[in-house]
Amino acid sequence: MIRYILGRLLGIALVLLVVSIVIFLLMHAIPGGPFDEAKMPLPAAAKANILRKYGLDKPLYEQYARYMWAALHGDFGTPFQSPTESVTGLIARTWPVSFKLGMVTLAFALPLGMFAGVLAATRQNTWIDYTATFLSSLGLTIPNFVIAVWLMLLFAVHWKILPTGGWGHWYNYIMPAISLGLAPMALTARYTRTSLLEVKRADYVRTARAKGLSSNQVLWRHSMKNALIPLITILGPQIPNLITGTIFVESIFRIPGLGKFFVTSIFRRDYPMIMGTLLLVALVWSIVYLITDLLYMVVDPRVRLDKKSS
Amino acid sequence: MHSSKLALSKRMLAVIAILLLAGLLQACAGAPAAEAPAAAETGGEAAGPVVNALGKELPADAAPLEQQVLVYPYAAGNTFTTIDIYEAVYQRADGLTDLLSDALVRVDKNFDLHPGAATEWSVDESGLAWTFKLDPNLMWNDGTPVTADDYVATLQYGADPEHAWDFTWYFNGVIKNWSQVVAGEMPLEDLGVRAEDANTLVVETETPAPYLPAMLIYSTPLQKKALGEYGPLYNSNPETSVSSGPYKLVEWSRDQRLVYEINPDYKGTNVPYIEKIISLGIGNDGYLPAYEANEIDFALGRYLSPADIQIILSDPELKAQYHPHPGDFRTYYFFFDDSKPPFDDLRVRQAFAYALDRQGLIDNVIKEQGIPAYSFLMPGFPASNSEAYKDIYPYNLDKARELLAEAGYPNGEGFPKLTLTLRNEPAMPEAVAQAYASTLKDELGIEVDVSNMEFKTYVDAMLADPTEIQFSLISYGMDFLDPSNMLGVFVSGGRHTWSNPEYDELVTKASSFVGDPAERIKMFQDAEKILVDDVGGVFVYHQTPGDLYKPYLVGEALTPDNNGVAAWHWPGFSGFSTLMQDVYISNEVTDYRPTPPQ
Repeated sequence: MIRYILGRLLGIALVLLVVSIVIFLLMHAIPGGPFDEAKMPLPAAAKANILRKYGLDKPLYEQYARYMWAALHGDFGTPFQSPTESVTGLIARTWPVSFKLGMVTLAFALPLGMFAGVLAATRQNTWIDYTATFLSSLGLTIPNFVIAVWLMLLFAVHWKILPTGGWGHWYNYIMPAISLGLAPMALTARYTRTSLLEVKRADYVRTARAKGLSSNQVLWRHSMKNALIPLITILGPQIPNLITGTIFVESIFRIPGLGKFFVTSIFRRDYPMIMGTLLLVALVWSIVYLITDLLYMVVDPRVRLDKKSS
Repeated sequence: MHSSKLALSKRMLAVIAILLLAGLLQACAGAPAAEAPAAAETGGEAAGPVVNALGKELPADAAPLEQQVLVYPYAAGNTFTTIDIYEAVYQRADGLTDLLSDALVRVDKNFDLHPGAATEWSVDESGLAWTFKLDPNLMWNDGTPVTADDYVATLQYGADPEHAWDFTWYFNGVIKNWSQVVAGEMPLEDLGVRAEDANTLVVETETPAPYLPAMLIYSTPLQKKALGEYGPLYNSNPETSVSSGPYKLVEWSRDQRLVYEINPDYKGTNVPYIEKIISLGIGNDGYLPAYEANEIDFALGRYLSPADIQIILSDPELKAQYHPHPGDFRTYYFFFDDSKPPFDDLRVRQAFAYALDRQGLIDNVIKEQGIPAYSFLMPGFPASNSEAYKDIYPYNLDKARELLAEAGYPNGEGFPKLTLTLRNEPAMPEAVAQAYASTLKDELGIEVDVSNMEFKTYVDAMLADPTEIQFSLISYGMDFLDPSNMLGVFVSGGRHTWSNPEYDELVTKASSFVGDPAERIKMFQDAEKILVDDVGGVFVYHQTPGDLYKPYLVGEALTPDNNGVAAWHWPGFSGFSTLMQDVYISNEVTDYRPTPPQ
């Protein structure tokens, strides 16, 4: 087990190295740079000054080598967009905000989604099932920015019971968490329902029933555990998306999170921030997949991750 | 017994719920209860006129001092590095900036120049050396005087190759030795800017530049001492920030908001009424809701979507709060790569000019957001002569077809397929491009695709040598109020391939012409006629952005100007504008926000 995890971590390090090279090459392949010529062409000398200031006058391999050398020493550079802090400082300031919001979202979306799914599956083909299915289709198809605007119009403009945005109070979580959470909640509900219905017909469930267990015991002890497997597969990828922040919801609700930097870094050709944000995403995804794989082992005894021991 | 217990707990639940709700409501309103008695003390009671910390008496209908708070948004989707123009122009906060020192000159609502930090200025016989006399009263709020050295240090910082300012082109060829200093060929000390004594600043120009004072609206200085002690970003932190302007920085919460308060140590003449400014970051789609929820006093029109504008115009209350104005005198125009066929042929460009139905576009697409443009300079801009060019290329499809046939493309046969490229434009200009493209296709038989490119990718392609943009819709808004600024865009060697020696000569000559101003204007107008005649561009519309602001924002600056525009317009609320001297919050504010925003 430990060996397996160590092996995976080594793999992640290799992935990050490859990702860093790819991102570095790609971002320098985009036309333009951290200068602005919207109004008039910059005089050649002025442009050269800007390139020199950011170290962009050096050959690419040298820029990459310098970046990696500094990064290995913990220095990921200075964001062009925020020269008073470091890339790591900026991420340390904004990521916790996005992370907290993502966690709050997951904390209500997952249990509620599972509850709705169980309800729908145990009352298959009743009005409860139909309502839950209908609502979860809506949740999946309406984009979060539409939900965000609706919520804002209702709660802030019409009823005036919440401010349109801001950060720092518990009530600032309400609208963004709902906007972000409806889709994962709907997804959870649908997959819970489908996989529960599937295992409902499995032999071991019939056996459990035949032994005279109550339907609640069958549901929670036998069906649910197996139904969780596909759910883990589906939900794993939802998590990195939620905890690394989303540009739209953060921007409309005035949340000082990391989300917008994924976009502004590219628009501004803020190379250190592009590297910083994308490496962070690569790292989070790798770790989430590792955890997902470990969870399979916990939930499903048939899964053995460490091949040699099996 | 049992039931009364139940009843009690139910009542308790209700009480808890009400308390929670009340707490929530209070928290939302953001109003600490302690604020109320303060309001009664200073505001009401008719105890005589209210005077602010700078000794300025508030008008009779003004709200109490603590309600003189302006909440003004910036686009939260953007990031910015500075609130100082000499640090960066394009990475500057797009809310309220340049409030921490006084520019040499100021502009009023009629775009007339007034003394700012400079009480007077003059130019010598040669027309090359300008002397600005500084107001000797000006002080930084650390107790040191504002001197000509601060202005020299600031302009030197602008030219410093190591700083690599993003706006260096602005003074290129204007301030003496500017471009050589930027290129690192001359030391900073050789820049044509010097302090003759503590209160006398001399600026030398390469050629006579009668527009120099107008250009120097962008001269809010940094403090030389702070530049040396804390570096150029000293205004990023209230601890190191220092102000000689009407406001001081009290808070900068990254990605959330900036807060300024009136500077009680201000010694200048741009004395405001507004006590506190909260510059709040708001996402584009949050603008209108936040405005309707009374969380912001002002909503910048350029961040409102076409759908928002429709909502505003169909709601009588909002419509009354919507104030169209010329903005930065922005003109949208089509341009061509006329260094190569087919656009090197004047007849082809003329055909394209005749094919543009401006009125149709205004009626169906642009609506309230623009007026037809027959030339580059918008009515109201110095030297604008729009009406005179109206009939040079009126909408006439027959004429267009005829010219196209003469050029060898009857019914568009043999005409290469075109891509009409846009520079990351919002929905409305894109619709204008689509409409024109379909006219070209349906009426002239020319195949046109519209492609809206990412901003920097476009700019890179446009400025490539040779240019990669063959046909495009783009806009330009002025930087300062002189025809030399706008018309300079089409001078050879700029961003367009169109080149006309006669035009170049006229614009260059007029720019540095120091004689009769009327004669100078005439030269610019002659030049602009060449630009239209020779189809340097096909001018489509002048943008008239509207801003939304609350009816409790009042003052002389918001009443009709010489052009009949009653709006909070350029140069807005800044260190080079007189607007802040007039604008205040009337007591009507309590109908919208009973307590001041925190």
